[in-house]
Amino acid sequence: MRGLVVSVGLAGRNLLLVRRVPSVFIPSLVMPLFILVATSGAFHGIGALPQFAGSSYLAFTIPMAATMGAGFAGINSGMTLARDLEGGFFDRLQASPAPRIALIVGPLIAAQVRSLFTTSVVLIAGMIGGVMLPGLASTLLIFGLALLFSAATSCWAIGVALRARTVQAAPIMQIAVFLSVFTSVAYVPQSALTGWLGTVARFNPVTYILNASRSAELTGMVMWSDTWPGLVAGFTALLLLGAFALIPLRHLENR
Amino acid sequence: MTAASPAIRQTAALAWRGILTTIRLPQAWVPSLFFPLVLMSIFTASFGGAPGRIPGFPPVRSFLDFAVSGAIIQGVLIGGTAAGSAFASDIEGGFFDRLVASPTSRVAILTGRLGASMTLAVSQALLFVGLASIFGARVAAGLGGFLVIVVIAALFAAAVGGLGVYLALRTGSAEAVQGMFPLFFALLFFSSAFFPAETMTGWYRTIVDLNPISYLVEAMRAEVIGGATVGTACTGIGIALGLAVITVGASGLALRRRLRVAA
Amino acid sequence: MSEPAVETRDLVREYRGGIRAVDGVSLTVDTGGIFGFLGPNGAGKSTMVRMLTTLLRPTSGDARVAGFDVMTNPDAVRRSIGVALQDAAIDPYMTGRELLRLQAVLHGLKRAQGRARSDELLGRVGLETAADRRVGTYSGGMRRRLDLALSLVHEPTVLFLDEPTTGLDPMSRVTLWDEVRRLNTEHGTTVFLTTQYLEEADQMADRVAIIDGGRIVADGTPRALKAEVGHPLLAVTAADASTPDDVARVLARFGEMVPGAHVGGAAVRLPGGSAAMADAVRALDEAGVRFAEIDLSEPSLDDVFLIRTGRHLEGADTAEGGPATDA
Repeated sequence: MRGLVVSVGLAGRNLLLVRRVPSVFIPSLVMPLFILVATSGAFHGIGALPQFAGSSYLAFTIPMAATMGAGFAGINSGMTLARDLEGGFFDRLQASPAPRIALIVGPLIAAQVRSLFTTSVVLIAGMIGGVMLPGLASTLLIFGLALLFSAATSCWAIGVALRARTVQAAPIMQIAVFLSVFTSVAYVPQSALTGWLGTVARFNPVTYILNASRSAELTGMVMWSDTWPGLVAGFTALLLLGAFALIPLRHLENR
Repeated sequence: MTAASPAIRQTAALAWRGILTTIRLPQAWVPSLFFPLVLMSIFTASFGGAPGRIPGFPPVRSFLDFAVSGAIIQGVLIGGTAAGSAFASDIEGGFFDRLVASPTSRVAILTGRLGASMTLAVSQALLFVGLASIFGARVAAGLGGFLVIVVIAALFAAAVGGLGVYLALRTGSAEAVQGMFPLFFALLFFSSAFFPAETMTGWYRTIVDLNPISYLVEAMRAEVIGGATVGTACTGIGIALGLAVITVGASGLALRRRLRVAA
Repeated sequence: MSEPAVETRDLVREYRGGIRAVDGVSLTVDTGGIFGFLGPNGAGKSTMVRMLTTLLRPTSGDARVAGFDVMTNPDAVRRSIGVALQDAAIDPYMTGRELLRLQAVLHGLKRAQGRARSDELLGRVGLETAADRRVGTYSGGMRRRLDLALSLVHEPTVLFLDEPTTGLDPMSRVTLWDEVRRLNTEHGTTVFLTTQYLEEADQMADRVAIIDGGRIVADGTPRALKAEVGHPLLAVTAADASTPDDVARVLARFGEMVPGAHVGGAAVRLPGGSAAMADAVRALDEAGVRFAEIDLSEPSLDDVFLIRTGRHLEGADTAEGGPATDA
């Protein structure tokens, strides 16, 4: 299918840019690593709370760092798209016979590849810190959930880019991802959350994605009862944000 | 004294200008309020159960009491970086050259910017303590404690501002100064700003114990949660002062070098 | 082929607030020629090109490019056109070769085909040595050549060039002109060229349309348009005690005056051409009118523009390309 070939071509170009533009590459690599180390180091003591049931705080943090890394891997696609729109390179893409959907699927694929990379970095760092991989199925699930999240955030950022058409919109993309993760069960389990955060986290889809990922990480098994809410939340978010990204495609020629 | 007073007036004028230009540009002050407050509220809600349940956690009435000082330091750090990048913008935009070509005292160029930073930092400390009190926090050491907090905040603002100005003078680029921000942010996490050092272990703990920011935060915190002594206050003020002397001195030298080259 | 390369009927593009960047433009471009679209900044040239290249939706009217309707069949249009827009829309972090290969992918060329085509085009525009350097390091002229190469990847039948030589030095400008001409004569590619430089339109185009304020003010071959303006212009600068009015009084006998065309003097159209110039000079002498400079110029497209709109074309005096003698 020509759309797929074109998408892969565009994805390749996106990934090329990651290597060539250090200001994009280094944060993708360093940020999730930093979050893992800083969070597990600074808040190490919180692991003594009964709600943790004795599990390692580092192991508890790995899914959060992976998710955050995936989130940012996703929005990089939006930032590249915004730059293309602002600089005029997108005109070239738009005037070509490339299927319109390839203009979105290409950056999406690139985001997924980056997300695989950041998740691997986090897991390897975890191993260096003493937390071994939790088994094949669980590890695959962790990767899968990260991919789901990066797809969703990618759609979010692409949607913002198509509407704003300027790089100045980058902070909007970033803050949304930060807030979505931080207003979930980023630092402690749901049962330990107090006040407003407890309520907000309950309705935050990221909470369920994190729970599923943590269940895989901490138990070493794929427990369906913990996993399905995460998948439902993730796919629902992806569906809604996907629509958010696709709708402006129809009106590209109106600006 | 007559030689000093124009410099003082110029400092005040430049400080006032610095404050105005900061206030008028939202991206200059919003991050220094938004991030610390958001993190403070998230941490308070996440770690609310910690006091009393975690070994090594100091006795506090609530996590909010614990967290305020960290938020203040974070705000000062972000604000100080913004001040440095504003100074770099002045260089890029030519305002700096205009100052140099005028009879403005060289010292005032520096102290004006620092004065703005310090004033903003004090306002910020006021704001954060005020907001926290609305949500139930109390400064255990009362007005005296609050003064200690304000002094440390002001001196630390001078220190960060000094570093920002130094970088601005050396690189001449606002973007380069902004690029330093992630490093400072990292430095903040490797301190006891957000969680007690006593609960940390291993090499992480070592870094935290060596980080001057930890001592600043803990000196402030002691005033809020209780347990402050003249000793802790002096440690905090002393370290902040020391940092300020180093960075402001460095930026003074950088300024002189730049002016000599230009002449 | 009997089908015109580009055909528009009452094309309009209106923005919020009622501003019409393009206000009812109807034009026809025959296949195989070079069509010049000339106008000052803000006249609507870029907007027209964007509509014709499916980047912008017309508010009303029809447009057909390469025989396909722009609105109902945009994909077919995209397959037939090559586009080189202002700002040379390229990515500074990629190399020339990578960009060409990407363009090939976008157009559905198979991998081997795309590679071969890229190499061929790099040779054609003279970028083989720079092909593997990042585009960010290219000079302005090199970027435009790459832009041209990118627009040719799929051998389009109609090529749209939006102000291709704006900002280029004279050498690069001439190189580009030669390349475009070669495309037209060797490959039969129809070229739709927009420009603000009148001698670019004069030199390159078989037919010219002049646009101002979103409307066409002139349409025809450069020669026909200039002939309409008429005869060569004699401009005389008054000197010493003589005033421009003194000069004008004498010159008025020789032909139609063109008021406001020459500051500090007067200008007249000479039906007799250069032969009449000697007579005019003698007449000025006999009348005792002193003059400093005397200049005889052929009509230009700027004169066409002046007559139709009462203003000079912007950029008429700033273009460095110069007359054909410089090339």
